[in-house]
Amino acid sequence: MHIMEGYLPLTWCIIWFVVAFIVVAFGLYQIKKIVDETPESKALLAVSGAFMFVLSSLKLPSVTGSCSHPCGNGLGAALFGPAVTAVLATIVLLFQAILLAHGGLTTLGANIVSMGIVGPLAAWLIYKGLTKANVSSTIAIFFAAFLGDLLTYVATSFQLAFAFPAPTFGTALTNFLVIFAVTQVPLAVGEGILTVIIWDRLKAYKPKLLDKLNALAPNEA
Amino acid sequence: MKFDMDYIAHHNELTETNPYFKLFLTIILLIVTLALDNLYFDVLIFVVMSIVILAIARISIWSYLKFLTIPVAFLVITCLFLMFFFGKGEVIFEIGFFGIVVTADSFHYAVYTFFRVMGCFPCLGFLALTTPIAKILHCLATLKVPKIMIEIGLLMYNAIFIFLNEIDTMQKAQDTRLGYHSYWSSFKSLGALTSTIFLRSLDKSETLQFALDSRGYTGELPLYEPKREE
Repeated sequence: MHIMEGYLPLTWCIIWFVVAFIVVAFGLYQIKKIVDETPESKALLAVSGAFMFVLSSLKLPSVTGSCSHPCGNGLGAALFGPAVTAVLATIVLLFQAILLAHGGLTTLGANIVSMGIVGPLAAWLIYKGLTKANVSSTIAIFFAAFLGDLLTYVATSFQLAFAFPAPTFGTALTNFLVIFAVTQVPLAVGEGILTVIIWDRLKAYKPKLLDKLNALAPNEA
Repeated sequence: MKFDMDYIAHHNELTETNPYFKLFLTIILLIVTLALDNLYFDVLIFVVMSIVILAIARISIWSYLKFLTIPVAFLVITCLFLMFFFGKGEVIFEIGFFGIVVTADSFHYAVYTFFRVMGCFPCLGFLALTTPIAKILHCLATLKVPKIMIEIGLLMYNAIFIFLNEIDTMQKAQDTRLGYHSYWSSFKSLGALTSTIFLRSLDKSETLQFALDSRGYTGELPLYEPKREE
């Protein structure tokens, strides 16, 4: 769930924009470096970003009957690393706000922090950690997508609890976490399974690309 | 189609209006609305912007309502949630079970949040419904947003619509073969769909790169701005 336009008070909008700005600037610096080295990767980045956006317009079947969409953050982070994913997510979120009225302009900063930074970073750390420990990349990608998704919502809960600390920060946080846990855990499992299916196909058809992006477990490369 | 917002943005009375003006007006109004956090002002903004969207941009009321419905539904749910589970202080209303109460504090939160969002949404709508994305990106480029980001954005915008067409075709094909018949089969179909799209997107990106290269692409997409028809 994106935090919608106008939901956060002004102070928090500004704070999250500043945090997001720092990380996205770093991501841009990284992208510039990649593009300078291999100019043909620009099209790949753009098309991957479009893929992330298009994923969000697909409906994910969910256990609870509610409908949500996969966000592809885990996959993006495992393929390109968190900094690049943050930049792609920024553009995707901007497009979602303007094309789908999903999220908003004032809450863009907060959404970038939760969906473009915390989620992918967590997914990337988990993926790298598990593959280093010689777990097969298929299992690693499941946990990366699953936990990346969950941590996105944990981050959103923190943001909401900071903005609405009533009666205290702690109770507000627990409240938001409980709500998200009930509604989002099934979705996160769904996203995990979906990512595994995609990953399997990628491994079968484009092993060279995964190897080039340095995204495979050491024992599979 | 899902993307009627894009269509509307290209076909309304304000499409040709200076995009800088629209962008800045939206941002300033959003900031003012958030900063004042005043119920009357929120309502005022809501009414004024709705009139601008409906009467000046001449966007049909159904499209506008469609734009508002989903966010407002979400908003109502979250505000009810805020009202019942947050806040302390004087109890003003008791439900009668589980000790769930509405306090003066939480009521205040819910009402203010509700009206703040209601005030902000038409502002976003004003920008989103009257300004095509390419123009917004062009504005951002002249405002010193890094070139590489704008480029990726433009290429992405281009690719999105190609993908949507392909997805539409594939989904219909899967659907006619009972691909979304049961819970597990819809998972499998969706997985096949997304991975195929991803693999295709890789091919597309290669083609795109060749196409750009063969036209002398040096890392910059010059934009031609046609003169406005008087």
